[in-house]
Amino acid sequence: MNDNGTNTAMNASPNLLAPASDLKRRYRTDKWFQRIGLGAIALSLAFIALLFFHIVREGHSAFVRANIMLDIDFAEKHFVKENLAAADYTALVKQALTEAFPEVVDRRDKRQLFSLLSSGAAYQLRDMVLANPRLIGTRQQVWLPADDDVDMLQKGKIDRNLPEENRRINDRQLSWLDTLASQGRLETQFNTAFFTGGDSREPELAGVLGAVKGTMLTLAITLMLSFPVGVAAAIYLEEFAPQNRWTDLIEVNINNLAAVPSIIFGLLGLAVFINFFGLPRSTPIVGGLVLALLTLPTIIIAGRAALKSVPPSIREAALGIGASKMQTVVHHVLPLALPGMLTGTIIGMAHALGETAPLLMIGMVAFIADVPGSIGDPAAVLPVQIYLWADSPERGFTEKTSAAIIILLAFLMTMNSLAIYLRKRFEIKW
Amino acid sequence: MTEQTFPLYGGKAASLQERLGDASPQERKTVGTPFVEEPRMTCRDVDVFYGGKQAISKVSIDIGRNQVLAMIGPSGCGKSTFLRCLNRMNDTVGACRVEGEIRLDGIDIYDPSVDVVPLRARVGMVFQKPNPFPKSIYDNVAYGPRIHGLTKDKNELDEIVETSLHKAGLWEEVKDRLREPGTGLSGGQQQRLCIARAIAVSPEVILMDEPCSALDPIATAKVEELIAELRTQYSIVIVTHAMQQASRVSQRTAYFHLGDLIEVGPTERIFTNPRHKLTEDYITGRFG
Amino acid sequence: MNVSHLVAAAGLTILMAGPAMAARDYISIVGSSTVYPFATVVAEQYGKSSGAKTPKIESTGTGGGFKLFCGGVGVDHPDISNASRAIKESEMKACADNGVKEIVEVKIGYDGIVLANAKAAPEFKVSRKDIFLALAKEVPDPKDPAKLIANPYKTWKEINAELPDSKIEVLGPPPTSGTRDAFVELVMEVGAEKIDSLKAMKKADAKAFAKVFQTIREDGAYVEAGENDNLIVQKLQANPKAMGIFGFSFLDQNADVIKGSVIDGKGPSYEAIADGSYPVSRPLFFYVKKAHVEVIPGIKGFLAEFTNDKAWGKDGYLADKGLIAMPDAERKQMAEVVSKLTPMAMK
Ligand SMILES: Nc1ncnc2c1ncn2[C@@H]1O[C@H](COP(=O)(O)OP(=O)(O)OP(=O)(O)O)[C@@H](O)[C@H]1O
Ligand SMILES: [Mg+2]
Repeated sequence: MNDNGTNTAMNASPNLLAPASDLKRRYRTDKWFQRIGLGAIALSLAFIALLFFHIVREGHSAFVRANIMLDIDFAEKHFVKENLAAADYTALVKQALTEAFPEVVDRRDKRQLFSLLSSGAAYQLRDMVLANPRLIGTRQQVWLPADDDVDMLQKGKIDRNLPEENRRINDRQLSWLDTLASQGRLETQFNTAFFTGGDSREPELAGVLGAVKGTMLTLAITLMLSFPVGVAAAIYLEEFAPQNRWTDLIEVNINNLAAVPSIIFGLLGLAVFINFFGLPRSTPIVGGLVLALLTLPTIIIAGRAALKSVPPSIREAALGIGASKMQTVVHHVLPLALPGMLTGTIIGMAHALGETAPLLMIGMVAFIADVPGSIGDPAAVLPVQIYLWADSPERGFTEKTSAAIIILLAFLMTMNSLAIYLRKRFEIKW
Repeated sequence: MTEQTFPLYGGKAASLQERLGDASPQERKTVGTPFVEEPRMTCRDVDVFYGGKQAISKVSIDIGRNQVLAMIGPSGCGKSTFLRCLNRMNDTVGACRVEGEIRLDGIDIYDPSVDVVPLRARVGMVFQKPNPFPKSIYDNVAYGPRIHGLTKDKNELDEIVETSLHKAGLWEEVKDRLREPGTGLSGGQQQRLCIARAIAVSPEVILMDEPCSALDPIATAKVEELIAELRTQYSIVIVTHAMQQASRVSQRTAYFHLGDLIEVGPTERIFTNPRHKLTEDYITGRFG
Repeated sequence: MNVSHLVAAAGLTILMAGPAMAARDYISIVGSSTVYPFATVVAEQYGKSSGAKTPKIESTGTGGGFKLFCGGVGVDHPDISNASRAIKESEMKACADNGVKEIVEVKIGYDGIVLANAKAAPEFKVSRKDIFLALAKEVPDPKDPAKLIANPYKTWKEINAELPDSKIEVLGPPPTSGTRDAFVELVMEVGAEKIDSLKAMKKADAKAFAKVFQTIREDGAYVEAGENDNLIVQKLQANPKAMGIFGFSFLDQNADVIKGSVIDGKGPSYEAIADGSYPVSRPLFFYVKKAHVEVIPGIKGFLAEFTNDKAWGKDGYLADKGLIAMPDAERKQMAEVVSKLTPMAMK
């Protein structure tokens, strides 16, 4: 390469070595855009972190519970009746407390002493005896749930330095609790009841199992209906339907439905499923049907988008060697569209998971203490449980509310991870 | 002008004219020899419309047995449209309407009683862009035989896959990785895979729409070799923009212009001695 | 993925769910959100101690509850409706029209409505007239009492020189709430009647008068805080200048952070509400569909649990939740009505 050649090259493209100001400006725009994008992501992450931090800080204490250990004397005299369930278990608790604090004799004082334990203590003893009748006649040390006020005190949510009249626990009760604590009989322990119990009006007994099961049953119905119907509708509209005024009308209406306020679906569910078909109120079957209606548009729209994104060349290839329309769709188009459809479905389900408004209309916003066993039993769902607890006067429900939100978030995360897994699983690369 | 060009049908003109009956004037505007003895497919007065727009008008042409027919012409002149009529791929385009008569071995393929599924098995197609299924090489080739129920057992299927890949000249390159995705092959290999897929169902006619436009010269040469070999068993119609390719692989060439079939004839004659002004302009590069 | 299988499965599930719905083996209760916290405790106790299914309780509001309750007789309709006021004549008529002819009215106790502020803030001593003047949209012109003007008061002191010089800022329930209805009736109406010019107006034009005491100002002095009373409690803690209106049970549960104002000389204590000396209190009820008692299992047991002194007595567990018990004689009389299932006289 001679000098001359180099010169020519430089002359031919001078702006390659000395970038024009215009180019600089373009780079600047690029950088700005990147910065703004990063800033937006950082901001949203910060908000999410704040939300998580707040909820976990509020809610983590619900996973433990103050329990009191008592020496319960399952004396035979309490079990004279044939029916073990009908025995007076409260008396067992009271007797044990009286033994632990023999100096308390006054009726009023006794009442205050007994109120340290949850009303659930007697039921716990009953369940123990029913499960194992050989306990009768023995003496056992049993950890029993403390009252929610004791629980709050143990967790520092009641300030023991406040003047007595401002506290829900008075000085006498405090001294008894201190005695119990010094004997190692008052402890905060892992709160299994929160995971195994249904709703309760006593914060220390309330659990999420009922709501979790209700949610699962409801979402199962929703999924079973909305996924096949949504996918079938999407396939029909995208692959088979003729392009005419009717299909345009249907398309517009599906898009409209996706934007309809969810409470409308509740009203529809009330009118159709409950009033017309006579399905029972407050049950997962009706809830699932209503939520299926709610998620259908989302699934159809996502499904159509997924089908549209399948390259037409694949369809031509299949049709070109004599596959029927249906074979083309089932063998080639659907597998390629499935990940997108699954994503849409999960987004729809997650949306449904967070809904309370439509459920209000069909009576699922209700106090339901029993854990539902089938889709015909009354059931609450997690967001409803959160709503109800948030509205309860007892202090103890504040942490329960946050804890239920944690469970709901865990549920959501599980569903989303499942979506990602399924997408990865079915994704076909080329 | 019509009267002038008609005698150019040559020696066979009389018998062909008899078969044609009273041909419409439009048909006669095609210069050369559109008809052959013992055709595999016959097309008569084919019109194709996209909505109100006519893309093909009154095209009549035969597709002979064991020969390659090349279709050339400027972009947008309707070559693909016409090709896609031959296995009714245009059915999938909602706005597309086909009139006239296309017969395969004497059967009108647009007859309402004809099912497109077996038709497309008999008239296979290879597209401009290689479009293997996102499945294994084996499954790509086996798909056609499977859906048409051509085999009784796995061994037979294996055999079909192997012979098809052999015929497509791909066997040596892929025999050790039949289970790998077809989409992992190179462009030229993919196109040959698509050809193998098309011939696995033993079609009678193979339609190829610019099969080499996405390939390099070496891959193109391989596909061309392959076409030459396949001709011994199949009737082939190929759309191409490469004059060289048309002259190399085809026995007959048809020149389309703005939806009209301008000239048809033996390839050598078309390239050495075009009779229509438009054909000449096109192949000499004055127009294009 | 076999789509048709899934559809079939879904269809089958719905069909199979059908038979389970013919009967109902749990009690269905609807109605007031004020009674809800009490009824739920009883339901839970009943469920646990009897081993039967726990009654299902929906918080629909008093009016919404009656609408469902009066829908008819049969398993599709609720058995019991809770109410934070007595049933209206129009509601009884609706019931009768739908075949709900025999209804047992059960009064369960009282609920106080409190005006509260943060513990840290100074104690409020107000009259109902003061509250009316602070919250009504239109009040009599101080210069010409016969004329109504848009509420001009910005601070409590402007209304009553004894009150603190702080901005009027009251958080309260929205119009859909039963607490709001009771507040309007027990505080705003009575407060308005204490003003001579309005008293005259009541005689002349009762409708116009009703409009005056029912219409709450919308200029920001009264903030509708939604149905969630816990939210109001939290906001009061954050803002010591603000006042909040809610049910007594929330004050009872949060006595360490908020305190009730003295209204017309009485503070909202349990005793003052029980003996009726605290002026802002209302009776709470539930209504039982007699036709259901023998059909739906457990109604009798639930009623027995509710009307047991262990529950609604002065030392009962409902008192712990903030329900103000009725005097002994009234309770005894009510318990008799329940045990005999004496229906109300239908008008
Ligand atoms: N789906 C369609 N809808 C409407 N018009 C179409 C459609 N496909 C093709 N056409 C029109 O029909 C005419 C012929 O198109 P065609 O694709 O057959 O051309 P071609 O000869 O194959 O061109 P090329 O060499 O560029 O592939 C063109 O004018 C084109 O715009
Ligand atoms: Mg083309």
